[in-house]
Amino acid sequence: MKEESQQFYHDEVVTRLVQFSLIWAIVAMFVGVYLSAELLWPELDFGQFWLSFGRLRPLHTNGIIFGFGVSALMATAFYTVQRTSHIPLFMPKLAWFCCYAWQIVVLLGGLSLLAGWTSTKEYAELEWPFDIAITILWVCFGVVFFGTIARRKIETIYISNWFFGGLIIVIAMLHIVNNLAIPVSIDKSYSLYAGAQDAVVQWWYGHNAVGFLLTGGFLGMMYYFLPKMSNQPIWSYRLSVVSFWAFTYSYIWAGPHHLHFNSIPEWVQSLAMVMSLILLAPSWASMINGIMTVSKSSVKLHNNPALKFIVLSLAFYGLATFEGPMMSIKSVNVVSHFTDWTVGHVHSGALGWNAMITYGVFYYLVPRLAGRELYSLRLANIHFWLALSGTILYILAMWAAGVSQGLLWMSIDELGQLNYTFNDIMASMKPYYGLRLIAGLVFLSGTILMSFNLFMTIKGKKTVKVKPPTIVKASEVAA
Amino acid sequence: MTYFIFIGDMLVMLFMIVLVAWVFFKSSDETIDEAGKIPLEDEQDHG
Repeated sequence: MKEESQQFYHDEVVTRLVQFSLIWAIVAMFVGVYLSAELLWPELDFGQFWLSFGRLRPLHTNGIIFGFGVSALMATAFYTVQRTSHIPLFMPKLAWFCCYAWQIVVLLGGLSLLAGWTSTKEYAELEWPFDIAITILWVCFGVVFFGTIARRKIETIYISNWFFGGLIIVIAMLHIVNNLAIPVSIDKSYSLYAGAQDAVVQWWYGHNAVGFLLTGGFLGMMYYFLPKMSNQPIWSYRLSVVSFWAFTYSYIWAGPHHLHFNSIPEWVQSLAMVMSLILLAPSWASMINGIMTVSKSSVKLHNNPALKFIVLSLAFYGLATFEGPMMSIKSVNVVSHFTDWTVGHVHSGALGWNAMITYGVFYYLVPRLAGRELYSLRLANIHFWLALSGTILYILAMWAAGVSQGLLWMSIDELGQLNYTFNDIMASMKPYYGLRLIAGLVFLSGTILMSFNLFMTIKGKKTVKVKPPTIVKASEVAA
Repeated sequence: MTYFIFIGDMLVMLFMIVLVAWVFFKSSDETIDEAGKIPLEDEQDHG
């Protein structure tokens, strides 16, 4: 048994994490759709606190980021690190512990949010007992990942592993520092920071969670699965490494652009703006690297839904990473701040980049894990068009809503009085919010189709056992 | 003070990026090609 566990890649845990990720995608996206309906018909909370917008919204974001996103990242990191190291996972039982314990923490954390436990910090709402549990599990994730790399059979640490490693290290640092707090009861703690410092620390966390989890982690996926699907090495390996370091050095400074025109020093805001603009270069370097890899490939896109999703995700990645720096420019931000433009920007990244690349990877991964063809190519192609139309409709609706809000709020008469009240402006948003609800429903229905397709693909099948390659080039053997 | 911190930040950034680029570009083309092929040669046949 021990010999076998050393011989084959540990892919069963990958299969289970993919299944959990799909479940979280449906649950958290459904909550998102419900929230968009509540913005049209507020009575949908039925007078229940746990159904109120304020409690459901963090459930939506935490479910997507930590349930759907992190489960997918763990799955792909485990899958990738053992293959690119030519050795099965280090401490596979610990990997299983990470898999199940993470789901329990996300589930209980989600319920605690519904119960009203909250630190009030965006994307870090979970209270201190969950923060401690997440820290322990994240360290376990790191032990499995870095333990595998430490025992690798080839000298080079492949670029995906740099991104996954960056994800693990930086998220640990951000999570611990931002959540330092003094507990006063099981469900309440107070941050160690106060005032402007609290805001700066929070958005140092918030923006870099987007950076190193939702961008860096998913770039790790891209750099492994895109060459694999294209049957083509990455277009420029040198560019991938340089862009990783440039990305890492520049992202970490950009957080205070979330605090433009707030009570933090002016120079901190300007620095964040400049660093956000610099960030465009490494972001687009990865996009160009991905697109050029596909362009050199002989694999056809039209009957390959997995590759189609990944190529599309790169297009949205390029869009979102251009839009972000533009929105960090203070003269643009004066319009976009506190409007639905920001919501549209977040979703062009979350739906267009994170969800689509994950869908592409799952369409590639699940048939291989199950050892059989995808259950329905037709359903996958329908899903592709649902995902694309849902994302575009969502972004367009929120752009229109956001720009309208920004301009109407800045509209003043000759005496300097507001031309429109907050209520007037929000009442005029209904058509856009209706379109957003439709967009969410379309995107969710595609996700449900995919989940059905993938569950039918894997149904009744055990995960295929795959061995590392036996022939290793002499130049690659570690000394 | 503001400009001092900002220019200092930029110089640190520049130094680190140049350092990484220099360390990386001294790798041989053969090593780079082998690294790029890692995902394409990482499994035996599916069982």
